[in-house]
Amino acid sequence: MYPACPKALASRAVRRGQALAVLVALAALFVALGACGSRPTPPSGGAGLARVRAAHKLRWGADIQGGEPYVWEDSEHGGRRVGFEVDLANAIARELGVEAEFVQNDWSALVPSLERGTFDVILNGFEVTPSRVGRVRFTRPYYCFAARLMARRSDSAVQPTVGWMRGRRVGTLANSFSFEYLRAAQAEIVPYEGVEEPYIDLAQGRSDAVLLDDIIAARYGEPRQDLRVVGDVADGYYAVAARNEEPDLQAAVDGALARVIASGELERILSRAGIMNERQRRLMTWSESDQRRMLGTQDTRQRLNGTHVMLFLRGARTTLWVSTLAMCLAIPLGLLLAVIRLYGPKPLAKLAGLYIEVYRGTPVLLQLYVLYYGLADVVKLNAPAAAILGLGMNYAAYEAEVYRAGIQAVPKGQTEAALSLGMSLPLALRRVVLPQAFRLALPSVTNDFIALLKDSSLVSVITVVELTKQMTITAVDVRSWVLPGAMCAALYFAMSYPLSIVARRLEEKMARA
Amino acid sequence: MINVESLTKTYGPRTVLNGVSVAFEKGQVVSLIGPSGGGKSTLLRCLNGLEEFHGGAITIGRDVLKPGGAAVNKKALASIRQRVGMVFQTWNLFPHRTALGNVIEGPVHVKGLAVAEATARAEALLERVGLSHRKAAYPGEMSGGEQQRVAIARALAMEPEALLLDEPTSALDPERVGEVLDVLTGLAKDGLTMMVVTHEMRFAREVSHRTLVLHGGQIIEDGPPAEVIDNPKHERTRAFLGLTRRD
Repeated sequence: MYPACPKALASRAVRRGQALAVLVALAALFVALGACGSRPTPPSGGAGLARVRAAHKLRWGADIQGGEPYVWEDSEHGGRRVGFEVDLANAIARELGVEAEFVQNDWSALVPSLERGTFDVILNGFEVTPSRVGRVRFTRPYYCFAARLMARRSDSAVQPTVGWMRGRRVGTLANSFSFEYLRAAQAEIVPYEGVEEPYIDLAQGRSDAVLLDDIIAARYGEPRQDLRVVGDVADGYYAVAARNEEPDLQAAVDGALARVIASGELERILSRAGIMNERQRRLMTWSESDQRRMLGTQDTRQRLNGTHVMLFLRGARTTLWVSTLAMCLAIPLGLLLAVIRLYGPKPLAKLAGLYIEVYRGTPVLLQLYVLYYGLADVVKLNAPAAAILGLGMNYAAYEAEVYRAGIQAVPKGQTEAALSLGMSLPLALRRVVLPQAFRLALPSVTNDFIALLKDSSLVSVITVVELTKQMTITAVDVRSWVLPGAMCAALYFAMSYPLSIVARRLEEKMARA
Repeated sequence: MINVESLTKTYGPRTVLNGVSVAFEKGQVVSLIGPSGGGKSTLLRCLNGLEEFHGGAITIGRDVLKPGGAAVNKKALASIRQRVGMVFQTWNLFPHRTALGNVIEGPVHVKGLAVAEATARAEALLERVGLSHRKAAYPGEMSGGEQQRVAIARALAMEPEALLLDEPTSALDPERVGEVLDVLTGLAKDGLTMMVVTHEMRFAREVSHRTLVLHGGQIIEDGPPAEVIDNPKHERTRAFLGLTRRD
């Protein structure tokens, strides 16, 4: 519309220079982080035990979201934390001559929290997996579980074999023992954050099977009438994990655990929780060679490689198309809501207002949960559809307010001029008011889109593997959050920065007009 | 052609129009003058339904407007607005369209004229207001006088039977007033029915056929401009004209 004046060209060149500078800085950060991330911190000899003794506290990290029978809040006893791991932590602490202190931590972030010193040990259904060995120091196990495969009762074709799992949609907890098992079996993994959701989805037909620890299956899967146990496919262990550079603390906890087992206290704890069985007998006679076998000999640690990069790009692609489609829904729906709220008949206008207030006033995470799990019996959406719909409907509420502000910023004389030409109100809106309102709203809409790009990471709670989720999975593989984190940030930046530029150009152009 | 009967309008406790009755004839140019707050702009805006009124009636041809606003008068308004054009004090051109785009907007989207035909007519109208060379300009790139002339062309493009002009020169720089008045004088010569709210006494005297003075929501003078302006009967008119002369 306007010829580019030399000044605009000059400022564009400056901007291009800025972009380059930012990219260079980011690359430098990348290299620096990579350098410090790849060098393992040398063991400090181990001041862990001394610290625990001095504080007179053994801080153990766990997630009460894991629920029964591990650690949970007993609503019948005023929210007191109970569970077999609470009893075990108390027993170990007592053996060490200190008090046990529970530290709540998101299960998927237990390792980084341990490493940064949020607590002394992890004790929370923390399975011994190849990718964790070498990142943390495991004690002897305190429980031997079985990875249990469950399917719909109506689905008789499911087999507890690697051959069957290949290419099948199987649900499990992200980064768990079963997750790595399924990955080795080349199944199509549906990763969850909670223990109840995999079974809800299985019953709904959104997955073919669920592979999880027998304790979890017994509590959350087996009570469902429409599901059946197919079989146990592998044995695994829960053990206490200490920081890599604190072998002294690991040894002390291991010794304490040995005494708790030898005295028969562990058996009593497990019996009380109703999870004692024949498999636990092997814990009573645990030997050095059992421990070596459990930990394995080969280091399965991977370097960040081309496959990871491809997976990251795939995650970024998912982020991009989920966000774009959600925005494509949010824009027209928001426009409709704004117009109804401003011009619609009273009851409809009130309804639109209610929609906006409810969607803005409740967390989008909750909305995604309700849409995907809560309404599963009413509307059976697949995960990507629910993600797009959930984000789109949430952002529509914000877009509606942006448009409302835009519409109200168009001078009243514009509507009057349109009406006085004989236009009906809808025609006046379409031809005169909305085009102007949309121009006013454009910078905000672009900003919202950038925010949506990042909010889209929330859809991982309904099993969509997007960029952030891919980052957490890869972080476990390479035993470091640094490089995957930097890569993840770089990809988000690469998607949002061009949008920022577009937003700024539009603003400048409008300021000129 | 336009008949106003006992028109009453209130803003809360304030009465803006207090039983105004007046008839406008075809081909007449009527100037509405009087102090601010007298009700002249309100009367004009009632005529095409931009203002709601509370008592009386307005008859334009076979269409009748009754109290109650757009909800009651939907059909009549649609018909009246196509036949009665409006020019605003602040032009209210559509900023996202060129001068030509503004002029063809009504014919194309309200009357359903083909773009080519509407464009040909619009170009003739822009020529008439002396702006053929500015047809591709956006409102933001034009002077106030130019914008008001485009606004007049926009209203004329609907081929109205009458044109309502609400202080068309009040927001203009003094040196731009003349170019707009010249256009209006031309239109008057061509016999267009016009109701003009104005403070330009020279225009009222030289161009209009009839002058109304509104004060306190009532018409206190009604007659040929020479009579009303040079020999007012009402005390209020004399005071108002004295004020205007001192301006």
